[in-house]
Amino acid sequence: MKYAIEVRGLVKSFGEVRALDGVDLGAAPGTVLGLLGPNGAGKTTAVRVLSTLTLPDAGTARVLGLDVAADAAKVRERLSLTGQYAGLDAALTGEQNLVLIARLLGASRSQARSRAHELIERFELAHAASRPVEGYSGGMRRRLDLAASIVRRPEVLVLDEPTTGLDPSSRTGLWAVVRELVAEGTTVLLTTQYLEEADQLADAIAVIDKGRVIASGSPTQLKQAVGGLVLRMRPARPDALRQLAELANWSVGAAPRIEHDEVAVPVAHPGEATAVMARVVQAGTDLAAFGLHEPTLDEVFLTLTGHRTETEHDERKAEAAA
Amino acid sequence: MTTTTTWTTTRGPLAQAASMTARSLVSVRNQPAQLVDFIMIPMMILLSITFFMGGQMMGTWQAFLDYAGPTLIAMGLFFAIVSTGLGLFADLKTGVFDRLTAMPVSRFALLAGRVAADMVKHLWALLIVGGVAFAIGYRADGGAVGVAATVLVVVLFLSACSWTMVLVGLTAKSEEQIQTWMVSLLMPLAYTSTMFVEIETLPGPVQWWARVNPLTALADTMRVLLAGEAPGAETLALLGWCAAILAVFVPLSLRAYRRRLTS
Repeated sequence: MKYAIEVRGLVKSFGEVRALDGVDLGAAPGTVLGLLGPNGAGKTTAVRVLSTLTLPDAGTARVLGLDVAADAAKVRERLSLTGQYAGLDAALTGEQNLVLIARLLGASRSQARSRAHELIERFELAHAASRPVEGYSGGMRRRLDLAASIVRRPEVLVLDEPTTGLDPSSRTGLWAVVRELVAEGTTVLLTTQYLEEADQLADAIAVIDKGRVIASGSPTQLKQAVGGLVLRMRPARPDALRQLAELANWSVGAAPRIEHDEVAVPVAHPGEATAVMARVVQAGTDLAAFGLHEPTLDEVFLTLTGHRTETEHDERKAEAAA
Repeated sequence: MTTTTTWTTTRGPLAQAASMTARSLVSVRNQPAQLVDFIMIPMMILLSITFFMGGQMMGTWQAFLDYAGPTLIAMGLFFAIVSTGLGLFADLKTGVFDRLTAMPVSRFALLAGRVAADMVKHLWALLIVGGVAFAIGYRADGGAVGVAATVLVVVLFLSACSWTMVLVGLTAKSEEQIQTWMVSLLMPLAYTSTMFVEIETLPGPVQWWARVNPLTALADTMRVLLAGEAPGAETLALLGWCAAILAVFVPLSLRAYRRRLTS
């Protein structure tokens, strides 16, 4: 089996809206596929199709070779979903939630309790295990939700925006758990709005917008496609802005942009940024602030949708010529 | 972290339903104040109608209590079946049912668990409010056996009727809609039965309906059993109604569930 998750030409409409408009995805066993896109891109619909919660209008989705429509019951045996909204009973305690899931999955009373305790330890929820979930913080809910998804270890785990709204330390903690699961052989499909998250966790990324995959590849490929890193410098004196831009231009040859009170210099790797900084220091230009930034999802989108517009433009030109 | 409890066993739909029942009841254990909520509506219906209207309807409230006390309790609980619809609706709004639906768990078990848990709550209310009726002077000629048989048929009837609310909970767009359903459907149904009025006092065309009304079958069955008489046609009619309601609403609910959660 080449792919643990394989999606071909998936289409799903809700009334007039085409939530998925011919999506192709593939995730090799034991890898993480990141589905990156803004709100309303179709990420959750794709997740719902894969976890048998929504039937596609056209196209196929296979999980471990099983068709999500025809073999839904078998897919549910082997795939686990952590939805965007915590799939927990807020009136129950953390432990009771885990015990319920284990019982529904066939565990005996004592097996269910012992599994719940293992997960509570692993997800560092011992202090809150006997409190109702409604009093949990966002991070605790997410951890418990993920714990609930692996009560019986799934072969495929689907995570829909697992860290949206989490503070940085909760986010890092959750990433660590996902890495552990992958190391144990689980295939993960992860949706996210954060390039950094996809970059940290995913082996392959598919960028999705308006129900279509507009770019895909490894994180490195994707970042190269959008221009890698950006060095941002703000001069201490605003009138030095142009001079600073010229310095940066002279050094590397890439075209720096003046954005508000900053100069943004696209660089291929940190070494280039160091070279630019050395140049600036040598020229004696005082900086109020500077930093090296990964491209944001906004920038990725700007670049990628820019390409797409160009393609359409080219097509129109071709049509006009014909 | 190195130990992992694993199992290869599975449990059937009834066992899964039992787990779901326990889940709904665990929230009662976490918040015991709910126990009071369950008895308030049936108790207030019993006490207010008996004390404030009973005398006017039958001369003395004691006479009214003897005639209509038990059926008033059943009517209060009949209105409480709305909680099945509301509870399910609330569940569907959270992500809980998304998770459960994506799990290898019987759909029937997920819905039946909710119904069964509500039956436990209704049983609790039935016993408490029944105790109140006893305390203010109600006595059944049928004795303990008659009372036990009555409790049984009431719970059976309520569990069948709750499946109508399962369907409502799965298809409603809002809580208000569910409440509206209750008022526009359950109330006319209750007031056109022999729950607490006599058929002869109803307008002519309504009398025909009152005779076939499932709540009339329930009220008549309750009176027969509480009086210690042998069950007859009215009990058969009641059981027929229960079977018919289940035969229609369980499949409809499962279909609505599929549509709602896998659209």
